Amino acid sequence: MRINVGPQHPSTHGVLRLVVDLDGEQIVSLKPQVGYLHTGFEKTMENRTYQQCVTYSNRMDYLHAFAHDLAYVLAVEKLMDARVPVRAQRVRVILTELNRIASHLVFFGTGMLDMGALTPYFYCMREREGLMDIFEAVSGVRMNYGYFRVGGLYQDVPDTFEPMVRKWIDAFPKHADEYYNLFMANSILKARTQGVAVVTRDMAIDYALTGPSARASGVPLDYRKAAPYSGYEEYVFDVPTREEGDIYARMAVRFEEMLESCKIVRQALDMLEPGPVKDPDRRISLPPRRELENSMEAVIFHFKLVTEGFHPPKGEVYVPTESARGELGYYVISDGGSMPYRVKVKAPSLANLQSLEPSSIGGLFADMVINIASFDPVLGDVDK
Amino acid sequence: MVNVTVPKARIVEALRACRAAGLEMLTDVFGIDYLTYPGHRGKRFVVVYNVHDVRGTDRLFVRVEVDDGESVPTATEVWRGADFLERETFDMLGIEFEGHPNLRKLLTPEDLDGHPHRKDFPLGETPTLFNDGRFLDPAAFRAGLTGRSQGLTGWMGGARRGVTSTEGTLPGDGRGKA
Repeated sequence: MRINVGPQHPSTHGVLRLVVDLDGEQIVSLKPQVGYLHTGFEKTMENRTYQQCVTYSNRMDYLHAFAHDLAYVLAVEKLMDARVPVRAQRVRVILTELNRIASHLVFFGTGMLDMGALTPYFYCMREREGLMDIFEAVSGVRMNYGYFRVGGLYQDVPDTFEPMVRKWIDAFPKHADEYYNLFMANSILKARTQGVAVVTRDMAIDYALTGPSARASGVPLDYRKAAPYSGYEEYVFDVPTREEGDIYARMAVRFEEMLESCKIVRQALDMLEPGPVKDPDRRISLPPRRELENSMEAVIFHFKLVTEGFHPPKGEVYVPTESARGELGYYVISDGGSMPYRVKVKAPSLANLQSLEPSSIGGLFADMVINIASFDPVLGDVDK
Repeated sequence: MVNVTVPKARIVEALRACRAAGLEMLTDVFGIDYLTYPGHRGKRFVVVYNVHDVRGTDRLFVRVEVDDGESVPTATEVWRGADFLERETFDMLGIEFEGHPNLRKLLTPEDLDGHPHRKDFPLGETPTLFNDGRFLDPAAFRAGLTGRSQGLTGWMGGARRGVTSTEGTLPGDGRGKA
């Protein structure tokens, strides 16, 4: 029997369509159909200046938006050879890691919902709400932040930032313990997920699975460790891995990752010192407002940057980063103009979605719904 | 960034060698159109294979140059995960992969002609279809801005085929006549 799942259904976590062939309740074949959210961001970026592109990068993965912003600005900064101040780097790390926790909280909330557990959703959303307040205080919005800029940040964080983050970080590990007992240690959940939809290590490598899903299959790939960026080498943290490769392992890795992210945020907060948040280089950053009143040169720089943007030298760059879903990198090509010649987003969700097919075949249809959730795809990230 | 350019005929062999040498994961395949790149010599397209090892410390960009209309042997025999990635490249640039088991469009709608990431893809020129049957023709819309026409014109069916006339075409389209 052939069943059509989606594209508009809560269990597909976005607009994902699956054509599933069933033999009884067993899955014989599964074909994902994507593209319903294709927006052409990469093409649009070819017609915007480098700073304007930050508006588009965070709209792809709306759950871990800061990671997309970071990946994009890192690539352009490498092209420009920009020097990002330490404070800006620390704030970037704090926000990206908090956003990673927020993304994993959505993963747990909605994933449990797919299994019929309603309560965890409310707990996870309650925690996430605190993070949303922090992001709102920093950037003014709860989604699509666009707060990072090439060369630093849009502006310094408000005074309330540090106490807000500290309060949240102090409370979270205690809550996480409760959640662990509520769902991860729950024997019903274990029975439902252990040994189900296994992705072996070979399969993960063959299908280029990255991120927490790959680490659950014994592939120790984490770019925060392998190719540190934004000062990740200064923080002490572990990369949780599992060997089993089943749904429970994918959940367990993410659960531990939230606590590791907490550790990183705490260390970054302790090291956070006052200072500039933008590269002082006038080629990249806008001059401060007060200079515009008495410096003709500043007005000229301001005018040129706003109307035309900066011109990176010719070249091609790629900086791999670690998003909540896996390897995320922007391949940016400059032809010397003020707009990118070509931007290619290596979005983790697209490659990760391919593992859905081999891991679901032979399993039950009801398990497939949890399996989709366990790879944590964001369809905006798949379709770009 | 380490780049290596490989002749088209030996790409599968090269990728197999990469995998055997420890660059075990193919994380991305994409194409670049150098049509308008200043000072570019050589063929129009480049297909890039982004391969790295399982720890993520070593990375290699394997590049193949192709001209318009040329096809590339598929990498799906080396990595099954190349499936979606090559389909995306085909969709975006129209580069065909020989021997690919299922080379269909991945992201764009089936009725879209052309490949968006080609540099000669017309921007803002796709007529937009509305629910009530009318559609927006970009050329007519621009004319409308200058006062010569209302812009919205035509009826369902002509949407993807383009418009032949912008003047009072079909019944019900009385907006421009008042």
